[in-house]
Amino acid sequence: MQDLLHEMNPSIKFVLVTGSMLTLAFFFDPWTPAIFWLAIVLMQLFLSRVNWKLWCLMMLPFTLGSFGYLWTTLVFGADDTSEILWTFAGISVTEEQWKHALSLSFRVMALSTLSLLFALTTDPVKFVMSLMQQLKLPPKLAYSVMVSYQFLPVLKDEFIQIQQAQRLRGVLVEKHWWQRLLNLRRLLLPMLAGAVRKAERAAFAMEARGFTGAARTEFFRPVTVTRTDLFMAILFSSVLVGSCAAGIVLSN
Amino acid sequence: MLKTWKLKEIVLMSLFGVVFGIVYLLAVHLGNIWAAAIGPIAYEWMFGIWFIVSIISMHIIRKPGAAVLPETLAAIIEVMLGNAAGPRLILSGVIQGLGAEAAFALTGYKRFNLAIFMLAGAGSAVFSFVYGYFVSGYAALDPSFVALMFTLRVLSGMIIAGIGGKYLADSLLATGSLRGYAIARAKKGDAGA
Repeated sequence: MQDLLHEMNPSIKFVLVTGSMLTLAFFFDPWTPAIFWLAIVLMQLFLSRVNWKLWCLMMLPFTLGSFGYLWTTLVFGADDTSEILWTFAGISVTEEQWKHALSLSFRVMALSTLSLLFALTTDPVKFVMSLMQQLKLPPKLAYSVMVSYQFLPVLKDEFIQIQQAQRLRGVLVEKHWWQRLLNLRRLLLPMLAGAVRKAERAAFAMEARGFTGAARTEFFRPVTVTRTDLFMAILFSSVLVGSCAAGIVLSN
Repeated sequence: MLKTWKLKEIVLMSLFGVVFGIVYLLAVHLGNIWAAAIGPIAYEWMFGIWFIVSIISMHIIRKPGAAVLPETLAAIIEVMLGNAAGPRLILSGVIQGLGAEAAFALTGYKRFNLAIFMLAGAGSAVFSFVYGYFVSGYAALDPSFVALMFTLRVLSGMIIAGIGGKYLADSLLATGSLRGYAIARAKKGDAGA
């Protein structure tokens, strides 16, 4: 059971998650996103082996962001004529505004939880492979992305190297944290120049090994669509339809 | 679309996607810090950062798709690195890229100067704002506040993405590593070849 979200076909998961997000955009009542959010958290709780410490850490900025949404909507919300709930420091909050504000904040929470569900249960390499096999992403593009993705650790090393080289030569003055942040811009250009050279070398190497970018019918590691995906698709859609229906009923 | 692309251009574009995926992710975290304090308007003035790869890549490669593809890839990389904004980010990446692409398509991919780059930055801003209006529910906000957000975003797109992107690509050209790409050929005077 706890493997279901991890074993799911990444493309299907991607389509389901994106579809749910777009559907949520049509709802302005507080109930729909709130119920959907709870359902997604429950799904993660029972159907995945998520590292909850990491989960909480990654949710923290979005929780803060949703507070930002809450009060921005309350203060700068569109004027309306519904009943005034309360007044504080010269700002009066109407029932309509309160509903909108809650709805937007819960939407932020629901969307970020949904995104974490995808990010924490999907293997990047399998995702790209699946994009190529199920959603017909051109192989030229798919393999180029894979190559670039493999460069990530190299780029990280290079970042440190360039930084240290510049420090050695005394280019950087780093007395305060903001100077450290500002100095990042000096690192971008050498990094990019290195990236350009690496890209050229990688492309030559790929062509030298006979890569033409022609579409394939057979793959070394096939990513398949199974019955689990059908089950998960039904589960996702019923959760979405259920929370939308509950939202409509509860807000009337 | 990719038929006319050389493999090295595709790999270069993907690698830019990776580098700027990281830059974008850092920018998201920076933005999040004060978004908690001053609400979603915190992102508006820095929105141009998230459009920049379209302009750099188009300036260097100069082929149809060179704006929308790297922007999409940067978004995919961000998702692969585990940005909590997740898959919907890919969609906004595509939309932002299309905004810039539209500006270049208007000129038939023939003219590449500062004005066009600024127009492309503004294009990304407009497209992403329309999308944001829909997905983030800006309709619930006061129209004048929405107008302020829109103006800030377009200005940021023009200045940070348009001017900044051109500046970065030009400095990169100066390092000499871009020999063999359209940007270097254009300098020599046989553009469009």
